[in-house]
Amino acid sequence: MNILIQKYKLDSIFLPLLAILVTCIFWYAIAGKSVVTEKVDDFGDKIKITKREGLSADLPTPAETWTASKPYIVEPFAKRGELDQGILRFTWMSLVLVAQGYLIALIIGTPIGFFLGLSKQFTKAFDPIIQVLRPVSPLAWLPLGMILFSGVKIMDGEGRTTFGASDAAALFTIAICAMWPTVMNTAVGVRAVPVDYLNVAKVLKLSKWKTLWKVLVPATLPYMFTGFRLSLGIAWLVIVAVEMLTGRPGVGGFLWQQYNANSYAHIILCILTIGVIGYVLDRLMSVVEGRFKTA
Amino acid sequence: MPLIEIKGASKGFGHPGSRTEVLNNINLSVEEGEFIAIVGYSGSGKSTLINLISGLVKPDSGEALIEGKKITEPGPDRGLVFQNYSLLPWLTVEENIALAVDEVFKEWTPEQRKAHVAKHIAMVKLTPAAHKLPKELSGGMRQRVSVARTLAMNPKVLLMDEPLSALDALTRAQLQDEIADIWLTNKTTVIWITNDPDEAILVADKVIPLLPTVPATLGEPMFVNMERPRDRKAINHNPHFKKMRSELISTLLEAKGRTKMKASVKISLPDILPEDLNTPNSYQMLGRSGPKRRSDKNREEVEVAA
Repeated sequence: MNILIQKYKLDSIFLPLLAILVTCIFWYAIAGKSVVTEKVDDFGDKIKITKREGLSADLPTPAETWTASKPYIVEPFAKRGELDQGILRFTWMSLVLVAQGYLIALIIGTPIGFFLGLSKQFTKAFDPIIQVLRPVSPLAWLPLGMILFSGVKIMDGEGRTTFGASDAAALFTIAICAMWPTVMNTAVGVRAVPVDYLNVAKVLKLSKWKTLWKVLVPATLPYMFTGFRLSLGIAWLVIVAVEMLTGRPGVGGFLWQQYNANSYAHIILCILTIGVIGYVLDRLMSVVEGRFKTA
Repeated sequence: MPLIEIKGASKGFGHPGSRTEVLNNINLSVEEGEFIAIVGYSGSGKSTLINLISGLVKPDSGEALIEGKKITEPGPDRGLVFQNYSLLPWLTVEENIALAVDEVFKEWTPEQRKAHVAKHIAMVKLTPAAHKLPKELSGGMRQRVSVARTLAMNPKVLLMDEPLSALDALTRAQLQDEIADIWLTNKTTVIWITNDPDEAILVADKVIPLLPTVPATLGEPMFVNMERPRDRKAINHNPHFKKMRSELISTLLEAKGRTKMKASVKISLPDILPEDLNTPNSYQMLGRSGPKRRSDKNREEVEVAA
């Protein structure tokens, strides 16, 4: 048995499965269970009364969660209504928004990181501002975004708003929250470029522009990608908060709407989906990151 | 007019108060086509000296000249071979050399530049490895690429900053011979910095000791009158070689013996004292160090040979 486990590396499958099972048992233990009691009412009829009992009476059990979530999972791209769609369809909407905000974060964050890394004066001047803005929660940025972009309204031919203030505010929030890891890592990377490489550039008399593209950027790439990866993680964290507050359709929006509809099983479905997608994004980025590791 | 001239140059580092003078009153004159080796101890200012010529370091006083013009910044006319190769790790051998060639010979056609790159890769016998990345090469091969990159710029002078000191003895010997051979064919002026007296006498025509006084200064040059190509096996029995080597080594040792300096050194003694329980110990949870041992704090003034 032990030999088999070692041979096929089964422990890397068994142990996680075991942990999942334990978690599900714990979940089941604290979840509420439906208890049916029979009672004779005033007219002499027997009626059934269903009551939920348990530590956390409203929390659905794993089985109930599965039953309730099944239509969203087996038809992940179905569209039954604006707020009743397959889970992957919602996820896709969220991902599109994240991608846009993330892109803005990289486009703004990378040059700022380069300036911070290259110029001591720039660092001294802007470091306090950055350190103060960095820990601010997405929930705090969103209202500011709403005010900043209150005039934004792009309509299509039929007069429907395709891109409004809340969309702009959402992008703004994602971008400004996800930007910081890219900024900081790029700055550190630029500072860590070996002096020898810069000396090579000096001896060859490379122009400033060429030094940037031929020496600085390639030497900083590994650091930049670490920053990009952390930024993507944050962008995905922020999307849920943003969707909950703006009511945009997406995983976060769906989650909030299901909470309001007392459909608690779907909240768990959303949480798991958000977690899995976040994990997949992180794995993808770490593969890309690994490719850019130079000596 | 000498090709390179340094007149009364001195250089120190650091701010007033904690300043160390590295070089003092350096006078050097290099004629075109000369092969000069400068020998000195590690940390005695050899790299600073060569960087005065390369332009990466400016002298505090005195001046460094190339063809009578003051050296103010680095330039491709002074090819610098770095001690640690300094190849860009994301570029292949060919691309590393092409980066230099494209920059220096902008007016050439792409075909000319390509041929020039190929010629220099062949010169250091690396044609089969032309498309490899530096990390796939051995230390000796990397330094050959670095030499090829520098030679490909057709510099007026080749500055070698301890080019072989990171290599093992056998590779080192092989590269010494190879570089000496290359020099025989194109006769570029070479200034070779090394910490190995044998290497200096073996490769160069003129050997100058960098005396490890504080600050360091150049000693009297010695001329090597031996036929080229030099046979490293026979040379060990050559009386001229033996005499030069002992002279060179005794000059360096003598200068070192004259200089003593004070330094503050942290000494780690065997720990025999009990822990000082009065020292606050509140950070242990955070992985900081626990109680200090008294012996950790020892700092002593000692006299050391520089």
